[in-house]
Amino acid sequence: MNVRRGVAYGLLVVLSIAVLVPFAWMVSSSLKLDNEVFSVPVRWIPAEFHWDNFTKIWARIPLLTYLRNSVFLSLSITALQVLTGSFAAYGFAKVRFPGRDALFLAYIATIAVPWQAYMVPQYIIMQKAGLVNTHLSLILLQAFSAFGVFLMRQYYLTIPDELSEAARLDGLSEYGIWARIILPLSKPALASLALLTFVNTWNDYMGPFIYLTDNKLWTIQLGLRSFVGLYDAEFAMIMTGSVLSVLPILVIFLLGQKYFVRGIATSGLK
Amino acid sequence: MTSTTVAPAQAPSQPPSKAGPKAPSPARRRWRSIRLGWSFILPNFLGFATLTLIPVLASLALSFLDWDSYSTPKWVGLANVDRMIHNETFWTALRNTAYYALGHVPLTLCAALGFAVLLNQKLRGVSFFRTALFFPYITSLVAVAVVWNMLLSPDVGPVNQLLRAIGIDHPPGWTTSTTWAMPAVILASVWRDLGYYMILYLAGLQTIPGELYEAAQVDGASAWQRFWSITVPSLRPTTFFVLIMLTISSFKVFDLIQVMTEGGPGRSTLVLSQVIFREGITQGRFGYSSAVSMVLFVIVLTITLVQFRLQRRSER
Amino acid sequence: MKRRPLSTVVSTLAATAAALALLTACGGGSSDSQAAGGKTTVKLALWNYATTPEFKALIDGFEKANPDIHVEPVDILSDDYNEKLTTMLAGGDSTDILTMKNVIGYAQYANRGQLLPLTDEASKLDPAKQSGLDAYKIEDKYFALPYRQDFWVLYYNKTLLKQAGVPESKLENLTWSDYAALAKSLTKGDGGSKVYGAYQHTWRSVVQATAAAQSGGDLLGGDYGFFKDQYQMTLDLQKAGALLPWATASTQKVTYNSMFSTGKAALMPMGTWYAATLLADTKSGKTKVDWGVAPLPQRQADGKVTTFGSPTAFAVNKNSKHADAAKKFVAWAASEEGATTIAKAGVTPSLQSQTILDTYFALPGVPQDAVAKKAFKPDQVVLEMPVTDKTADVDTILTEEHELIMTGEKSLDAGLAEMSKRVKNEVG
Repeated sequence: MNVRRGVAYGLLVVLSIAVLVPFAWMVSSSLKLDNEVFSVPVRWIPAEFHWDNFTKIWARIPLLTYLRNSVFLSLSITALQVLTGSFAAYGFAKVRFPGRDALFLAYIATIAVPWQAYMVPQYIIMQKAGLVNTHLSLILLQAFSAFGVFLMRQYYLTIPDELSEAARLDGLSEYGIWARIILPLSKPALASLALLTFVNTWNDYMGPFIYLTDNKLWTIQLGLRSFVGLYDAEFAMIMTGSVLSVLPILVIFLLGQKYFVRGIATSGLK
Repeated sequence: MTSTTVAPAQAPSQPPSKAGPKAPSPARRRWRSIRLGWSFILPNFLGFATLTLIPVLASLALSFLDWDSYSTPKWVGLANVDRMIHNETFWTALRNTAYYALGHVPLTLCAALGFAVLLNQKLRGVSFFRTALFFPYITSLVAVAVVWNMLLSPDVGPVNQLLRAIGIDHPPGWTTSTTWAMPAVILASVWRDLGYYMILYLAGLQTIPGELYEAAQVDGASAWQRFWSITVPSLRPTTFFVLIMLTISSFKVFDLIQVMTEGGPGRSTLVLSQVIFREGITQGRFGYSSAVSMVLFVIVLTITLVQFRLQRRSER
Repeated sequence: MKRRPLSTVVSTLAATAAALALLTACGGGSSDSQAAGGKTTVKLALWNYATTPEFKALIDGFEKANPDIHVEPVDILSDDYNEKLTTMLAGGDSTDILTMKNVIGYAQYANRGQLLPLTDEASKLDPAKQSGLDAYKIEDKYFALPYRQDFWVLYYNKTLLKQAGVPESKLENLTWSDYAALAKSLTKGDGGSKVYGAYQHTWRSVVQATAAAQSGGDLLGGDYGFFKDQYQMTLDLQKAGALLPWATASTQKVTYNSMFSTGKAALMPMGTWYAATLLADTKSGKTKVDWGVAPLPQRQADGKVTTFGSPTAFAVNKNSKHADAAKKFVAWAASEEGATTIAKAGVTPSLQSQTILDTYFALPGVPQDAVAKKAFKPDQVVLEMPVTDKTADVDTILTEEHELIMTGEKSLDAGLAEMSKRVKNEVG
């Protein structure tokens, strides 16, 4: 038993390190000069450490504003997505009504259409509504995606109906069952939905790029791309910024993943 | 698409059975269930319908039009479809997309499930491992492309050096070869996505009651048997979700390929969403690009429906 | 209508609504284009305002000459500039002046009728001096005026040349076979310290546009035999190890700047825009390379220099509410005054004259020798790619086949034949 565990453990360590190699490249590049980033063969340790990249970047672009905008957008989109998604999912998973499945299929089907295909019609609607160049446009665009509804619905299906049945007998309404029984039980799913939504909005580039024109509204991803010029790019700055932009995600991740150990103590392969 | 769905169960459904004294008529009960269901869905649906559903429907309608994003659209009937059918690039991209999906979906699914089960145990440093495995998903795509291309470099890359060391004289040219570029891209994408789907599986694993495992252990089931008889069946709703999301994202794959190979060499890794992007926003043929996305839409919808049916059957 | 815990729902909805209201309140940010004090404000769509000095120079210069007009930059990222512009215009955006990043994009906006005609303004320009003006002619009308023209030259590393004992004057009249021989002789070392005799970037233009410009071949014609010599030379150099292999450069995303400015390549054909980067990097100490500029090598050593280039232009949006002021700006940027302003910012303007060239050479750091002077005064600058409605499609095909030839997945002859076949079948 212990030998097998040891082997599995060793494998995990090796794998985790291997998986982090590209990140190491990012960090190493963030300490180089622009013209040293893409060298052949790859140079893992910079000839000279340019720690000042991490101070320079704050002066080069209004990073603080961009970070603030990114945090604001990611948090509000995540909050709305989790709230409306989990609410709607209850309707799809626990209430039976005519037309439910067709509606659900419509939700999933829209995920299948690439954004590139409907980006222009969507933009025209936003423009008509006078919302282009506001944060609200992005929030409305991304907060109601089918992804959250789908994810939460699937999770709710695993919660036995007996629980809600008992609550119903106690006189709780359907809304009460959602709020008091189902929601507390679905913490792991809520955590993963929140985490994935946050990461996706945080890293989104095309959405903010198309909808936000005013520099004061830009997000961190737009700020990083501003180092790409017409013919050339400042890659060291891009990598410095990328390293900085990973840090908030790391915090969210460490906060969120503690919800994945609730429920059962041990399981699976022993 | 409505006609193809399973008609929702009408009469003896469980829900809004407010334990009232007199049973309401079926029509009233039906009406009440509709009202109840919609009251849950509406807040999300309002945003979803106006900003996603309508633009999507508009874009599907564009398939029958000739539109440059500005001038008045012209009705062209099936001309866009006709052009598509006779376009070699479209078929190449369709083949490549299917190839990518066939590789990416099963590999990612297995890897994500495997690691989720492994990392759902009480293990020292488990949060480090989970974080590490999620890192590829948040690492800058450029870094991913450069490092993978370096690892797979035909002459000096460590992967090929290893292959030579174990006696393979002519290791593949990976991203510089028309034959091996797609496997290389699939490899990199599995590596990148596995942490993402692992998170979904980790959430799913929390729903399995521990008593099930304890009981199985008492019965003397091996770890492998417990995995197949408890873990896999209990995870079915999660697997359904992961499978559909993976299928959809495989058919829509864009970013990673754009950065890693830009569809090359030649057209060997060109996929449908690149065609949609090129034809639409860069070349201004929005009608044609919508027709191509319609194909994507139909394929994904069909696959989803099949999976939907299969899941339904297994639920019964 | 429903029982108690309806409050949960109500509070949820209320919270959502409140959040939305709050967001709307702090979301706004579009500024009004009518400025106070009788000044007209025109908006100018451009890219990377902070890192592209000529835009600021142009705006400042223009505002000084026209105190009643205020120009407000609309900053868009360079990377996907055309994608954003297309979307904005589809939504009916009224940004007054639009920078045309390349001629392919220009042709699309113009053909869709999104730009105002500038034919009157164009007729006041001298076509002999205004390099690149022709590219904007669509059925005898002009919808944009070029202010900037980049063309290709040969950059060289003076230190490496000196070490090899090659006199710089030799570069004044280089043929492509001289270039190949020189590149081979300048290659030395190996592994991490290898110095390549030359670096040719991965773009298809390096081979194809050069061949087309210097042999008079038609890039849209569907018959690509005229590429052959140029490809042969490039493949030969690659085989001899005098060029970084195309596959490596492409997969490792090697930038030409890193190859040249760290002294890993001695010769490099590249556009004049790179001079601005080198000037800035030398000044800030980011590179220590001692660089020079020579004319692009030719097919024959007859003293004439033919190269290729791509102009950049300003156009006026059809939805502009201040079209007159916007036209004024576009005309000013193309004029002598505008050209001088740009030259001072280290960029080669579209308008060419001795005075403007002198302004450019007066910049600190610009190489002053005869070789450089000849390089910046080519006899003929051919448009990189002729513009028709087929350009974008042909471009895609040529790029794809270029990759296959350069990676060796297809032989040269097969690749060229495939290009011709595909252009005829798919675009024809």
